[in-house]
Formats: sequence, structure tokens, C-alpha cells
Amino acid sequence: MLEATNELGNLVLSTGGTLTDPNAAAALAVGLAALGAGYAERGIGSAAVGAMAEDDDLFVNGLILTVLPETIVILALVVVFIV
Amino acid sequence: MSAAGSPNPEYVVARVRARRGSLYGDEEYRKLTRMGPAEIARFMEESSYGEEINALGSRHGGVDLIEYALNRNLAEQFDAILDWSEGSLYDLIARYLRKFDAWNVKTVIRGVYTDAEQSAVEVDLIRAGEFDDRRIRRLLEADSIDGVIEVLEDTIYGEPLREAYAEFEETDVLVPLENAVDRAFYERLLSGLGGDEPTRQYESFLVAEVDFRNATNALRLARSGADIDPAAYFIAGGDLFTRPSLARLAQNLDELVEYIGDSQYGEELGPALRELEEADSLIAFEHAIDGALLAYGDRLGTIHPVSVTPVISYILAKERETENIRAIARGKEAGLSADEIESELVIT
Repeated sequence: MLEATNELGNLVLSTGGTLTDPNAAAALAVGLAALGAGYAERGIGSAAVGAMAEDDDLFVNGLILTVLPETIVILALVVVFIV
Repeated sequence: MSAAGSPNPEYVVARVRARRGSLYGDEEYRKLTRMGPAEIARFMEESSYGEEINALGSRHGGVDLIEYALNRNLAEQFDAILDWSEGSLYDLIARYLRKFDAWNVKTVIRGVYTDAEQSAVEVDLIRAGEFDDRRIRRLLEADSIDGVIEVLEDTIYGEPLREAYAEFEETDVLVPLENAVDRAFYERLLSGLGGDEPTRQYESFLVAEVDFRNATNALRLARSGADIDPAAYFIAGGDLFTRPSLARLAQNLDELVEYIGDSQYGEELGPALRELEEADSLIAFEHAIDGALLAYGDRLGTIHPVSVTPVISYILAKERETENIRAIARGKEAGLSADEIESELVIT
């Protein structure tokens, strides 16, 4: 398994592979940030829906708090413009 | 409503916290202690008990109406919590709520034993546990204790009840059956609790509850001086007592009080114990125990905000609220003064 990974690494490096390409790395960074935001929104979203079910007035607050982690993705997008 | 899937404490905790906000506070209790039963019912109608009061208002009146509305509201709230929760969260909450199943089983058995009307038994049930409506209907329709046990065959109560039934047939007293139900519940309560930090806190809360229950039982036995085997009332799982130590301490009140005072609960229960020695009243001590449990529950709910503990904290506070309202209504019916009733309440 380990040897196979090594070989794969060599292959990637010698062919000018994906991860040495700045654009690809930036894309990966945005993707991971989005994954993190999604995970955070999972918890906040279910809590917000729970609170809304008890009290309709909390809709606006719930919505704002739910989309707040989305800022992480926007900040990660900055990386795309830097590279 | 299932034990499958991943736990969703966020959702349940958010709903429970919102509901906790609508529980009665000091202000409401002070108002309630100055009302008559009819006014209390009207006051409840305007708060979160409105639906139940309206549904039952045509059939019952006075203190009975309050009592049944409280039971039904409690059942509906706790059923809803079980309904929302999933995965390991469901398991943890259901463990605690099964005590209502145990209560229902005991009520039905007592009903069968005393030949009570089916409808009279039905209003005393609190449908907050895991038993569904079908099982409860079948329980109510059972016309012998053997029949009740048959309905419960596939639950955790089946086997212990079957074993206790032989003893019941010999002696014709309900104690062995009731003890069997209690023990089945408490055994299940503390078995196989998993490992993360909130769960451990939950476990230590459950252990404290078992300890307090044992302490109250021992104090009652020691004070009454009745010739009952204390070991028969022992509930396993606590830290404070073992079966032999409980049996020994229940013989001697002073020793028992000293033992509890020196234990890890000494700080919380110390004042109540001193009062017990001076005023010779168990009621104050029992209230102190309830208060200590409630305060423990409150603290529990704030340490790990997204876990099972805030839910349990709410369940405790809700139970306490219904007991307080019941005490007020019953006290009013018996003609107690507002001050006397206030001393019966447990408010944190």
C-alpha cells in the first residue's frame, strides 16, 4: 500500500501532477473550506429549525446564524484570486 | 422516534431550551398560591397547558381537571422529546423516561389487584414512556395480574415479573411485583452507558438519583422503625450504599444521618440533615433532596450545551413544575394557607 502511494507520488511529481499546480491546490482549498462550512451549518441549521418550530419569530435570526459559516467559503475564495 | 441514525442533540436542545423559557417562575408560583382551583385552571389555560385544559374541561372539574391536565401535558411533552431525538440521544433519554413505563405498569397492577374501574386506572397513567398506545390499551384490558405479565412478556419487565409472580401468589402482597418492576427499570437505567464526557456526567447524575432514592428509603425505614427488611428496598447502581450497609444503617437513624452527612453529598444535604435532626421532619429533607437534584440538573445543563444533559435538565424542571402545581392545587383543596403551600414547593 505504502509503496503504491510512493509510486503514485513520484508519478504525479514527474508528470507535473495535480497538486503542484497552483490552480488545483486553490480549488482544493475552496472545496475543503466549503466542506467545513457545510459541517458547521449542519449543527446550526438543525438547532435553528428546532428553535423556529417553537417560536416563528426566530426565523430571521435562525437564517442569519445558519448562513454565517458561509463566510468561510467566501474568504477561501480569496485564495483563488491570489494564485 | 428511533434509535437508528446519528444523534441530533442540536435540534432537540434548541426546542427544549425554548420550552424551558415558558416554565413557571417565582412570580407565577406566587400568583398561583393565591388562587383557588378554578382560577389555577384558568391560569393554566392561558399558558402552555391550554390545549389539555380545554380537552379535559368538559369531563372533569376542579382539582381533578388540573391533575389530569398536568399528567397529559407531561406525557405529551416527553413523548415529543422522544419523537424528536434520534440515535444514541434517543437511547439516553428513553432510559430516563422509562420510569413512566414502570409507573404505568405498577398502576395497572394495583388497579387489577384492587378491581378498580378501567377508566379510573386510565386517568392515572402517564403515557410518557416507551409503551405505545396499543400496549397500554392491552394492559388496561388485562383482567388478571397474569394477563398483565403476558402483555409485558417481550419487554424488560416480563421476566422479572414472571419470577416475582410466584412469590406474589404465595403471599398475596404486591411488594415483590413492584420491586421487580423497579429493579428492572434501575438495572436498565445504568447498564451499558457509553463513554464520552457528557454521558459520564449524565451517568453521575443518575447515580446521584439512585443514591438519593436509597437515602430517602433508608431514612423512612429508620424513622418508622417498622420491621421490614431494608435490603428488599435497596436499589442497585448507587455509590453511597451497598445492600449490607443500607440494611445496617437503616436500623439506626443517628448513624444514618451521620453517614449521609459525611458522604460526597454532605455539602448539598447538610443543612437539610441538621433540620431533620432538629425539627424531626422528613418532608423538609425530601424537599432538600429534590432541590439538590434539580440544582444538579441545572448545572448539568450548562456544562455541555450540545449534549443530552440540557434535555435531562429540562425533563427534571418540567417534572418539578407539574409536582409544584399539583401541590398548590391539592393544598388549596385542603384549605392550607398560601405560606404553608409555599413551603411545600421546590423552586430553584
